[in-house]
Amino acid sequence: MKSYFDIVGDGGSHVLDQVAAQRRRIEDALAGVRHVVAVGSGKGGVGKSTLALGLARAFAARGLSVAIFDADLNGPSQAQLAGIGVAPPVPGPQGLVPPRDAHGVGIVSLGSFLPAGDSLEFESVSEGDTQVWRASREFASSGELIASVRWGELDLLLVDLPPGSERTFQWAEFLGREAALVLVTLSSDLSRGVVARTVAALGRTPNRVLGYVENMSGYCCPGCGEVRPLFERGEGPALELPCLGSVPFEPGLGQATDGPATRAIRATAGRVLSALEGSA
Amino acid sequence: MKFLCVPCDTPMKLLSTHGPEAGSMSLVYSCPACGYEMAMLTNPLETQTVASLGVAIGPEGTATAGESKCPFSAMARGDADAAGLAGATGFPWTEDARVRLETIPAFVRPMAKTGIEKFARDRGYPEVDATVLDEARQFFGM
Repeated sequence: MKSYFDIVGDGGSHVLDQVAAQRRRIEDALAGVRHVVAVGSGKGGVGKSTLALGLARAFAARGLSVAIFDADLNGPSQAQLAGIGVAPPVPGPQGLVPPRDAHGVGIVSLGSFLPAGDSLEFESVSEGDTQVWRASREFASSGELIASVRWGELDLLLVDLPPGSERTFQWAEFLGREAALVLVTLSSDLSRGVVARTVAALGRTPNRVLGYVENMSGYCCPGCGEVRPLFERGEGPALELPCLGSVPFEPGLGQATDGPATRAIRATAGRVLSALEGSA
Repeated sequence: MKFLCVPCDTPMKLLSTHGPEAGSMSLVYSCPACGYEMAMLTNPLETQTVASLGVAIGPEGTATAGESKCPFSAMARGDADAAGLAGATGFPWTEDARVRLETIPAFVRPMAKTGIEKFARDRGYPEVDATVLDEARQFFGM
């Protein structure tokens, strides 16, 4: 009796062909992108999105063309962070053109399509059981969205990942082996422990992890400008990765043009570029 | 998933799809050698799981290029008005505007449709056409 692999085709449903076609549409859409860099962590609340936007603006300030894809469909924040108002996605003759923030960074985020307080829902013929199919649907939807955007020629596309070590791993697989990753952690043992798990998970992928950024590495006093520790540093797990930068917490980051956090992010952006070019 | 006619040792071909009804679909396969037919019946969870991949399932030649082949895909798109995009609100769209709308993912299409129609209504336009879309793009900074 024939086995699965003896049979050519799938009897007419072409499911595998369609999945391959989905991949090709994504690759075609990203053909003009020089570097895809996913900013993730595994740990939530470490400032991935803020850092991703800060890095994007630092790249833009260097004259690079850069855009962000907000991959957190359930908690999109890039539109609000970047100051992009809620607006419907209006298709151009050749797809969606990303709106740009005041620094020229293209932003694609569900947060600009969905009013605050609304959640993304998918129709389902199956009551409950979303734990079975929701992740598949979200990845398929993310792929559709990426493929429908006219990204054009970009030096960098930053992908702002949702939290979760395993989800970070899944996104690395989804984006393909050419996508590089930057991981974000706090200095606390708890955060470093979670990020260490993410590093271990990413070890199962061929993706390059450029290094990690220690975010909120200290508190920057707006009065005296001194930076003091924000978290007690313990004997937590070492991250066997290059440290790309330490960024202090600074109230008003985003508005400040040349505070310690902004300067640290600029320096971090330089190290990310060096790592991408292989000269780190 | 593939189906094999055991007596003939021949791969079966997808013949037709039916449904979904109450979330269940029937996919009929036939053996090209002996003509034996069988149907795979899905439960709602199985239907939804396949739909979540964003693929269409249907026998060859049942749809033109780019057109959905089967109800799985309409559900996958979360697209209640897949057959007629103007149907939900009744606000008219010209054909070229409708084609443009279909270039964006179906799961964000309702957001686009609602916002663009409001834009058009607020300005007294009788329909959404390519010019209205271009004006909306400029207005919304895209």
